[in-house]
Amino acid sequence: MPKIELLVIQPTPFCNIDCRYCYLPNRNAKAVVAPATLANLFTQVFASGWLEDSLSVVWHAGEPMVVPIGFYRDAFQLIDRAKPRELTVTHSFQTNGTLIDDAWCEFFAEAHVNLGVSIDGPKLFHDRNRRTRSGHGTFDKTIAGIRRLRRHNVTFHVISVLSAVSMAAPREMFDFYVEEGIERVCFNVEESEGDHVSQSFADSDVEGAYYRFLGEFWRLSSAMPGKIKFIREVEHALQQVIRPKDAPFSNQLVEPFAITSMDWAGNISTFSPELLGLKNAQYGDFLLGNINHDALVEMPQRGNLARMLKDIQAGVAMCRERCEYFSVCGGGEPVNKLAENGSFVSTETTYCRVTKMRATDLVLDALERVQQSPSGRTGPSLPFEMSVRV
Amino acid sequence: MSLQKKYTKILSGILPVGVVGASLLLGSTVPSAAKEHPASSQPSAADRDAVSQKLAAIREAVSAAADPANNDAETRDGNLHLAWGNWWNNWGWGGWGRPWGGWGWPNWNNWRNWNNWNNWWRNW
Repeated sequence: MPKIELLVIQPTPFCNIDCRYCYLPNRNAKAVVAPATLANLFTQVFASGWLEDSLSVVWHAGEPMVVPIGFYRDAFQLIDRAKPRELTVTHSFQTNGTLIDDAWCEFFAEAHVNLGVSIDGPKLFHDRNRRTRSGHGTFDKTIAGIRRLRRHNVTFHVISVLSAVSMAAPREMFDFYVEEGIERVCFNVEESEGDHVSQSFADSDVEGAYYRFLGEFWRLSSAMPGKIKFIREVEHALQQVIRPKDAPFSNQLVEPFAITSMDWAGNISTFSPELLGLKNAQYGDFLLGNINHDALVEMPQRGNLARMLKDIQAGVAMCRERCEYFSVCGGGEPVNKLAENGSFVSTETTYCRVTKMRATDLVLDALERVQQSPSGRTGPSLPFEMSVRV
Repeated sequence: MSLQKKYTKILSGILPVGVVGASLLLGSTVPSAAKEHPASSQPSAADRDAVSQKLAAIREAVSAAADPANNDAETRDGNLHLAWGNWWNNWGWGGWGRPWGGWGWPNWNNWRNWNNWNNWWRNW
């Protein structure tokens, strides 16, 4: 039986900006998901038997904040009324931050929304790619939103898409986050998805550049503890490397319905959320049905799901057989395999070499250096004064 | 020295400082001024074929540290059982109150456009 862990909902395909690397195909369309569609989705999800004790809902795949606050108040109320008493539902937004005002800050705090803001570092880096439709940079509005969140004490993380230019400037990136009081950072790499072909991936040294960037950023954070409290890529790599041999391990992206995605019209997809809006010569689209016309619990029997699953599992099997890093990755990202290799039935991508392999190398290399420490002690020591609870 | 013994020794120095301490400690080993140390700032490609063995050895060492019935010299002398217990408590759900959901298994997320803050409000 499937287990839904993450529900990605597209409240609208529209985005008020037009990033150069965006893969969303319909970001000019101003449609908004109907309350009846949300009611159909959550009624069916809650009745499916596919949930455990918690469900994360991410409002994304378009700019969620172009839809009014009242929409979310009504939606959250609807979900709260329909959900089983023992189920914990958490809501997350991933936003470009340009529309954050005091009312949104109050809503985020009141509704306990987990908030991610997309900002690509200092203005010079951010405005190269994150622009309005008329070609102007969006940095000033995004940073104004972040400063407003801080004034309201709303906790947030940022996701920064790294380009070749910003990867060459870890110190500038680090100083920027510290200066703006940004404490939790996640790094994506500009990648090939959908119709977008990555410029970064065309760089022959992208793997080395990413390794050097992440290493230097980690070193700077360690040298100034308390400034950057969370680097997602480092924490995830540590988590995946230092674990017991029998710890449960899964890759949500290759498990049917672990991530379930719905577009504004009620169309359902699974595996990589980016598949929701994509079309492909081999598969057509990746839709499993529409929540307004079809039963969610019957979607596992769809022929196109069986075909996708067969191919994705074949790709995972190839990864398991051939890749030294399989145990930290679990078989990769279907959407990247399709975009880069032309097929789910494939293994390595530049995306996985950069973000999984080189991040793992960074942790393994750090462990090697600990061993080589000349201190003569049983183990390493912290190079600075800090209080650690043990 | 076997790979597992090597990593048991390394982990005996890392686990006692806790999750955050370990991240800071390991980060502090990264060579500074990468441009001046091009060799050390590159992935260790020469060791690439040993990655899966290294990962397996690390996990064997962690499992040995986590197993209270394990009484071999490395884990006993380094008091690694206790260190692992503290590490695990800080790492697992509901332990330390890390607002981004801790490092609990199996809820690590793979999708890069989302950051897993599952336990945010429970722990904050």
